[in-house]
Amino acid sequence: MFAAENGLKGDPRLQAISDAIRVVPHFPKQGIMFQDITTLLLDHKAFKHTIDIFVDRYRDMDISVIAGVEARGFMFGPSIALAIGAKFVPLRKPKKLPGEVISEAYELEYGTDCLEMHVGAVPPGERVIVIDDLVATGGTLSAAIRLLERVGAQVVECACVIGLPEVKGQRRLNGKPLYILVEPREIDGCC
Amino acid sequence: MLSLTTLCSPNETAASSSYQPPVFRLRSYNQTLPPTLCSASDSVANQPKMSSPDEQDPRISKISSAIRVIPNFPKPGIMFQDITTLLLDTKAFRDTIDLFVERYRGKDISVVAGIEARGFIFGPPIALAIGAKFVPMRKPNKLPGEVISEEYSLEYGTDKIEMHVGAVQAGERSLIIDDLIATGGTLCAAIRLLERVGVHVVECACVIELPELKGRERLGDKPLFVLVSST
Repeated sequence: MFAAENGLKGDPRLQAISDAIRVVPHFPKQGIMFQDITTLLLDHKAFKHTIDIFVDRYRDMDISVIAGVEARGFMFGPSIALAIGAKFVPLRKPKKLPGEVISEAYELEYGTDCLEMHVGAVPPGERVIVIDDLVATGGTLSAAIRLLERVGAQVVECACVIGLPEVKGQRRLNGKPLYILVEPREIDGCC
Repeated sequence: MLSLTTLCSPNETAASSSYQPPVFRLRSYNQTLPPTLCSASDSVANQPKMSSPDEQDPRISKISSAIRVIPNFPKPGIMFQDITTLLLDTKAFRDTIDLFVERYRGKDISVVAGIEARGFIFGPPIALAIGAKFVPMRKPNKLPGEVISEEYSLEYGTDKIEMHVGAVQAGERSLIIDDLIATGGTLCAAIRLLERVGVHVVECACVIELPELKGRERLGDKPLFVLVSST
């Protein structure tokens, strides 16, 4: 669900966040209009709004874990975790986490990839929010949900700054609620 | 403003009354002259008062003990300093960020540059708290749009770090954050990248230093601030 339809209709912060996101055409390949959040991170006010909106939503939901997907989930997750008193758990590409991990494979357009989490990072029963900068097909987030559910954690919601059209109208992913701040920006008059 | 760089190994605590404090290096935040260039009278004036050793900040030992060491990762012989356990300790993680924020708030720092990927975990909370931009410094081909690159040496071969063109302006004052400094190769590349576009790198800040790898020396006259030094 989009924040604007869920209590934040007309909230000027959402426009500020959207305006701060840069679109880079044809990255990483032709036809993809890449939603670049690095410009959001350069805009201190808009970045703060982003974190504040998630914090306001999750602070009273008894959340004990924020799980962030490498690498852009790392840019948003820890600030939210710190503000609500939750742990931060990184979900990483293969072979980055030292020690014992569990892995979950997921489909890419061509081939598969893998997401890993530390064994023991999340005890069973803990309430978790999964965070990433953007959701497109939902493949990565679905893998994250599966990883967390395999260890008995309860995924309460997935949170993303941007939601691509594929998820518009979808309120759930893998049965889990999806909370998104903004739609992708478009470039006028572009190919 | 004086600040404390502690040389505390992960297993030391300050609990017992017979505790011998580790050697402290008090590093003046505004120090610009290396000691050898000070005149005799300057050196007295510049010496921090050490009539009794300052207590290490009480938050440091909990931060240190929250860091997990994984032997032989990513390869045999390396004792990997794993900060993910620090991120699971909400108070210790909070204290880590607070220690950096207390040091850098009000110092006219407009940029916090974080090195992929663990610098992305510590940098943004610091940037938000001190009112600075966060600039990710990334491995090749991750940043979309126009970038500048800096190559640096690895034990075998080279690697590259990239930053967006236009992310920072000449004259801005910046920190560089990473979880750990080892040889200092990556941090040096990050310094060069920022300096190439006219940014003043005020200090490099890491949670952990591995002093035996002499990263501090490799940074030369660039100040380094760490919370925990691990031998």
